[in-house]
Order: sequence, then C-alpha cells, then structure tokens
Amino acid sequence: MRFHLIDRIDAYEPHRSVRARKLTSISEEHWQGAPQDPVMPPPLVLESLCQAATWLIVASTERRKRAALLQIGSVSFTGDVRPGDVLQLQGEVKSMSDEMAVLSGVACVIDGGAERPVLSATDIMCALIDASDLQDLDETARLQAQFIRETP
Amino acid sequence: MGQLIALDRIVSVEPGRGATALRNVPQTLAIFDSHFPLRPVLPGVLVLGSMGELAAVLLREQTGRTWRLAGAERVRYRHFIQPGDQMRIEVDLKRLDDAEATLGATVTVDGRTVTSARTLRMVPQ
Repeated sequence: MRFHLIDRIDAYEPHRSVRARKLTSISEEHWQGAPQDPVMPPPLVLESLCQAATWLIVASTERRKRAALLQIGSVSFTGDVRPGDVLQLQGEVKSMSDEMAVLSGVACVIDGGAERPVLSATDIMCALIDASDLQDLDETARLQAQFIRETP
Repeated sequence: MGQLIALDRIVSVEPGRGATALRNVPQTLAIFDSHFPLRPVLPGVLVLGSMGELAAVLLREQTGRTWRLAGAERVRYRHFIQPGDQMRIEVDLKRLDDAEATLGATVTVDGRTVTSARTLRMVPQ
C-alpha cells in the first residue's frame, strides 16, 4: 500500500493547528477483523493524525522539515472506523522549536449528522528532521499541493 | 492490515507473566516505497500495533477471549527500525480483570531497545 493516510488538508494555521481528512474505502487493503465487519486498524487511525501533523510541519517550515515520532504520551482508541467512513482529523501544536514539536489531536467520523470520536491523543512528540533526507523535495511539494488542492 | 502488524513467530507465551515474539522487517515491504522514498523506516504506529498483537496473543491464551488494543501511554521511539532488522517484541502483564488488561512492552533489535511502551491498554472484544 502507499503509506499516505491523509487525503486532504482542509485548513491549517502554520505552527498552530491543522484540520485534515482521510477517506476510507473497502477497496483499501488494510482492513482487519471479521470479513463481514471489517474495521480500520487503530494504529493506522493514529498514523492519519500523525501524517496530518507532519504536513502541518511541512507547511510551517517551507518544506524544510518533516516529523518523526519520538513519543506518544497517551492515545485512546474510542471507536471503530468502517469502510466508507470519512475520518476528520484535528491536530493542535502545543509547542514547537527548530528541532521538536509536541501536538495533541482527535479523530472522529460523521455518523447520522453527528460527530463520533474514534481517537484522542495527547503529547505526541516529534523530532523535526530534514525533509530532503526522506524524499525528493519536488515530490514533497507535489504531494503537498495535492493535499491542499493547489497546483504547484 | 494483518500483514502490516503481524508477528512472524511466537517465541514464548507464559500466561500470567508475559510473551515474546519475533517480527522480521524485510526490504520487500511495499510501504517502504512511500515511507520514505529516500530512507526506508518502519512506521512507529505499526510497532505499536505489533505490541498490541502480542498482548492479544497472551491474553487470549490466558482468558480464552479475544482482546484488542484500546490505548497506550508513554510509547517511546528511541531508534528507527529499518529493513534488515529483526524485532524482538516482549510484553509483560501488569494487571488483568474482566474489563481491562494493562501490559508493558519493549522492542529490541540486536539487543538494543528501539521502542518501549510503559502501558498498553487492552479490552475484550
């Protein structure tokens, strides 16, 4: 699978917050559980939030930095995510320096018009590493433009 | 996802105490195409997922029920896990009742701790 677990960045404030979404589909490969009741593996829901955070870091640093996980202070998986759900991800920066960022966040899905929380996490600590060490910077720019629906 | 967090070999299961398993990280995993193109690294959340898998194996052996990961606290990533690494995953049971179990977990590669979790929180399905 392509390990890209967000599809769109809906809004962001550099160095402060990000709102993103991931669309889930039965055509993805990662479902687990009984075949008649597949659920998204909870660690991947956490990864969606972390990827929303990393793209906030990318957008906040003119694509110089990306985030690598150092620590998860606390995470709770509070609900199931099923094929067809749209994950709504909200991340908040608690502190950020040149080398490190700490974020908290929540994920929910919309069920019958109401938000149903599926994950909350606090004290997600990331090291900010050089984006050019991980991926060609033009490719990073192309992905970023795709997520925020702009042409590069 | 089976294939993203699955364990390759259960080394030992001691009900009431803990369990040990191995997970190999081969260069062939498709996620390394995108994570990351210039530097293949096993995503940290998948390490957490594998710890949860082993905790579920131990608890199933002990209780005969199915358990799932409900949360975690103080998960520390000390070193990247890369293709060619063999992860040795260990979980230790801390507390178990009908509604919840808590465990500690560590992952070592060649004897070096790469990831640790102070608490994995498991609930019956």
